Amino acid sequence: MTKPFNPAIRDFLDGRIWLRMHTPFTSEEIDALIDAGHIQIIKGIESKPSFLNQKRHLCNRCENEDSSRFTTFHCAKCEGPCTYCRQCLKMGRVSSCTELIVWNGEKPQYPTNHTIAWQGTLTPYQQKASDELTDSQNKRVSHLIYAVCGSGKTEILFPPIHKLLTEGKRVCIAAPRVDVILELEPRLRSAFPNTKIEAVYGGSKPTMEASQLVLATTHQLYRFLHAFDAVFVDEADAFPYKADATLQKAVKKAVKPGSPVHYVTATPSDKLLSEMKKTGVVSIINRRYHGHPLPIPKFIPLWNYEKQIRKGKLPRKLIDWTKQRLANKEPFLIFFHHIGLMEEAEPLFQLIDPRIRSVHAAHPDRKEHVQALRNKELPGLLTTTILERGITIPNVQVAVIGAEQQIFDKGALIQIGGRVGRSADYPTGDFILFHNGITYAMDEAKTEIDKLNKGGVRT
Amino acid sequence: MNCLLCEQRLASIPSWKSLLAVEKTSLICENCSKSFERVDIKEEGDVIDQITSIYTYNGAMREYLHQYKFLQDVALAGVFANELRSELARKDAIVVPIPMHPQKKIERTFAHVEEMLASARIPFKDLLIKTNTEVMGEKTREERLSMRNLFAIKPGSTIHNTTYILVDDIYTTGTTLRHAASVLKEAGAKRVEAITLIRAEK
Ligand SMILES: [Zn+2]
Ligand SMILES: [Zn+2]
Ligand SMILES: [Zn+2]
Repeated sequence: MTKPFNPAIRDFLDGRIWLRMHTPFTSEEIDALIDAGHIQIIKGIESKPSFLNQKRHLCNRCENEDSSRFTTFHCAKCEGPCTYCRQCLKMGRVSSCTELIVWNGEKPQYPTNHTIAWQGTLTPYQQKASDELTDSQNKRVSHLIYAVCGSGKTEILFPPIHKLLTEGKRVCIAAPRVDVILELEPRLRSAFPNTKIEAVYGGSKPTMEASQLVLATTHQLYRFLHAFDAVFVDEADAFPYKADATLQKAVKKAVKPGSPVHYVTATPSDKLLSEMKKTGVVSIINRRYHGHPLPIPKFIPLWNYEKQIRKGKLPRKLIDWTKQRLANKEPFLIFFHHIGLMEEAEPLFQLIDPRIRSVHAAHPDRKEHVQALRNKELPGLLTTTILERGITIPNVQVAVIGAEQQIFDKGALIQIGGRVGRSADYPTGDFILFHNGITYAMDEAKTEIDKLNKGGVRT
Repeated sequence: MNCLLCEQRLASIPSWKSLLAVEKTSLICENCSKSFERVDIKEEGDVIDQITSIYTYNGAMREYLHQYKFLQDVALAGVFANELRSELARKDAIVVPIPMHPQKKIERTFAHVEEMLASARIPFKDLLIKTNTEVMGEKTREERLSMRNLFAIKPGSTIHNTTYILVDDIYTTGTTLRHAASVLKEAGAKRVEAITLIRAEK
């Protein structure tokens, strides 16, 4: 007979890898469960000797192995050289003398009774992709949903997620950006009203219950281990995920061994596409749910725009475009490649309309400004690429200033254009690329959109 | 190498100063450097003969201190190495860091002021010990002023009739530094100056 324990500890720790000293429980409770063998201790950093007295380190939380992301110092606690991981530092430092814990006891049982309250119907394209995804999940094979912006890709996930939940399985939807998680959360809560759902992102408060459906930024998956029967990665081509090997590892360690990782994106990288064709299954949707074509980008030269803005002068073409949107009462987004330039342009735009605001990743009022644009309290926003995806505003018109800049690669441009014409009531709109020279990325984006509209896809 | 604060790639062109080892190569990018605001205060006083503060306590600095001290990112100890060195290296004096209570140091795993000096390669002497664990911020001004001295001379150390420079990360009310300075002076120091990285608003 094992001693009874606080089930909240099991529910919290199941599938997580956590700092021993930073749980929301008392250290006595944790210590007792360690003694009873229900909680296992894992060393924070694994260090192995390598050549020339150098050491190779591995962080057992984020699985980072990049030597430039470790720092070694003389530690006053363990009284010797101590190495810590800078990759996952913001989640509480993991060093050589830090202990991580995982739940090693009896697993919690997840309920099998779940309602799906979503009232819509899937188009035949969506239905087909959804069925194919369910089939892959049954076979435990990875699946890629390659679906154009505005094809309703979240809804495609509802039936397979519902099926997993009713089997008592645990599911995660992960996205590189917190904005995407914040947009998904209310939609999933209303689609699955009886399911324990938890949204996990930097600054979110952990719930003490066994959440069966977890929405998480890919960063937060550093703190999960063998937790899920399936992970769906939304916007798998977005920064920082696509450029960060540790985030890709984090997703793979968050699923249970042998369980699949699925991907959903409008702009898969060539690497992901070819990998999935080799080892998984790909479903393609090149139609928006309302059946209208994707907006084609229009290239408009805006020579020396940067110099002019820095001198306090907004180019005429920009003023005219903005005034036209205001006159038509159409909400608009104007994308910039650089925060500094955007902030210099902001007061110039405010001369046209004082309500125009700007947002970027670290902007304190970012959420509020986007909401105000939705509520039509603001006529338009200047933004960095932070709003390139995951945002739906009916009748929004889009312009990019400096489309030739490196940050606007093909994927980013297609995503930005994907904001336009999403609703059935307003299926078209402006998608302007103001530029100081046409780049390959701009041409490629236009070619791919043309091809998708003609029913073709990239192969 | 990447900027220690924002992870942008650092331009790899070393300056002539870093080549001649006059200056440590910067650990942060130009953008992050620009986000810190110089204040360059120099004040004369009686307990502390001269006090110098280098930066204001703006948002970027608050974030830096949070990451360095609270998130325990020891790698950030060297971010202001050049600035501290240009204030300290040329002086013919004994540098004394404001100490941490031993228990607190074990909790943080490092002494933040000493690490800053060490990574700027500024020689220093541990001459003071902390006699009291209570946190300054929890006290009213009256309580703080009436407290007996926070520091004592480390047993076995001798204080000479020369100049000492106290170093701390942040100057708020000055109480900490005044206590440390008066202990040094009572023990025979001729002159006590102080340098803090940051000057906070009172
Ligand atoms: Zn790590
Ligand atoms: Zn240690
Ligand atoms: Zn930087």
